[in-house]
Amino acid sequence: MSITSPAVSAPIWGVSGVLTRFTQMPLTWKILSVVLFALAWEITARTGFNFSFPTFTQTTGAFWEMLTDGSLAGAYLRTLQPLSIGLALSLIIGISAGVAMGLRHEFEWFSLPVFIVMQAAPMAALIPLVTFVYGIGMTSKVIAVVMLALPVIAMNSYKAVRNVSPSLVAMCQSFTGTRWQCITQIILPASSPMMFAGLRLGVAEGFSGIVLAELLITPTGIGDLITYHRSIANFGHMYASIVSIVLFAIISVGILQWAETKIFRPEKRGV
Amino acid sequence: MTVTRRTVTSALAGTVLLAAASATVTTPALADDPLRVAMGDIASVESLGLLIAMERAREQGVDMELTFFNSEDIAVQAVVGGQADIGVGAPYAFIQNSGAPIRMFYRMSTLLFFPVVNSDVYSEWSDLDGEEITVHSRGSGTEALMRLMEKVHGIEYSNISYVPGSEVRAGAMLQGTVNASIVDAAAFNLLQEEGGGRFMRLPIDGVNATDEALFANTQTLENRAADMAVFVEAMEQTWADINEDPTIVATLRDQYGLLADLPDNAAAGITDYYTDVVSNGIFPLGGGSADDVRDDMAFLAAAGQVDEPGDDFDPGTYWDFSVHGN
Repeated sequence: MSITSPAVSAPIWGVSGVLTRFTQMPLTWKILSVVLFALAWEITARTGFNFSFPTFTQTTGAFWEMLTDGSLAGAYLRTLQPLSIGLALSLIIGISAGVAMGLRHEFEWFSLPVFIVMQAAPMAALIPLVTFVYGIGMTSKVIAVVMLALPVIAMNSYKAVRNVSPSLVAMCQSFTGTRWQCITQIILPASSPMMFAGLRLGVAEGFSGIVLAELLITPTGIGDLITYHRSIANFGHMYASIVSIVLFAIISVGILQWAETKIFRPEKRGV
Repeated sequence: MTVTRRTVTSALAGTVLLAAASATVTTPALADDPLRVAMGDIASVESLGLLIAMERAREQGVDMELTFFNSEDIAVQAVVGGQADIGVGAPYAFIQNSGAPIRMFYRMSTLLFFPVVNSDVYSEWSDLDGEEITVHSRGSGTEALMRLMEKVHGIEYSNISYVPGSEVRAGAMLQGTVNASIVDAAAFNLLQEEGGGRFMRLPIDGVNATDEALFANTQTLENRAADMAVFVEAMEQTWADINEDPTIVATLRDQYGLLADLPDNAAAGITDYYTDVVSNGIFPLGGGSADDVRDDMAFLAAAGQVDEPGDDFDPGTYWDFSVHGN
């Protein structure tokens, strides 16, 4: 066992030293994970176990093609319309209803069962029913997004308000704070982190809602790309469309999570 | 360290999952098993011909089973995966893009659609140049047909809208929101009855395209050749009988007790439907030929669903004619 002099090894790391440092980087492991996954995908597809399973390279090629010919951008523009309207509605109604349920027992008794039912019900089975009432247009798709996103946002807001420490409220009252002051300066700020977490979950549900709507109601946007390429057996493009919406959802939810950490969770900022 | 462990574990899990999926083995059907037919839709009046042929094959000692799926794609997957022996559809694009060992072997029906326009606005194909049309969905037969007519007549639509369901498009035409579309026979009749002479049919000449065919795994075609021959013979006999006398369908439905849950009004329309389709010649005899395959490919290529067939095109890539000897 030889001992290397620090004077020699410190400025110029040996191959093993570089490798050690390289492997200690979290990003390296993340990239390695993706590479391994891509490799496994490529090898599995090349074994030909399923005729409808494209290789990783075919899928990325199709992804690039759809990106450059504008079909992906066009599809997302159409998908984002009902998604953003649905999420905005869910946000406004969900937070308002959640806060109202948290503050007033009468409102809780009145509307909590509705949200519990909405959260528990298998929405994919109910979405086709929406078309009976609202047809096949944008309204049905917005409602599909709301049906999935709203209960999560409302329930989290409700629980957030309910779980505000009673001692904080008591403190407000002992300082002769009015009810309005208690709500705006104590309850809402204290419940914001959990509400935001609910918003993140709601957005994730909203993505499920829009994809379900575009697959079950009428194929538009990303749902159209998936069904069209499936119907003409263009599996590379079909997989690329699916992967793109998964990535889009992950990135959107990731950005919200990052914002949540930045705004509400100072202990996680690493400061 | 946690990152390392988590990353490696997730990568391994992914690999194991994919490997497990690749290890999935489909079990081929045994000779005594029933021939399992997979349809991409629930059985309706239009399926009665096939159902009668299945009953006749059963009488000849070949047991048959019918399964319904949500779409034709799933029926194709069932046939490729060995969960079904025979599928109903026209999977040209699937065979071309995947190279899967499935072949069509019996041509059941040809496409029958009616391009319809509001005669107050348009009167011929050239009027549709630069205009919007409405079809069923992207990649559908209705789109393929309208695309082909675009080529044939040297016109270009400004936009193609997608509205699933012939009856929905017919409703939109009656309301005046759609002026040019393509519908099926039932919806065309509706437009004629309710439209007060407002709607006219544009001519489509020389289109010979398969609507539905029977297809199977090449392995099944080989291993169950005797059973397939009996079934195909029953199909040929049934198709000949229907073409000779369309009223036979309603009689045989009662005889075999098929589609017992069919509502009375739908059952009353069986004879009208079959008389109509027979007079339009969409139940071809003979089970399909190499020329039909070339026509199908030309039709689908015009719609952009398959690549244009070259000079060295081999119909055997898509069809197995040995079952009915064409």
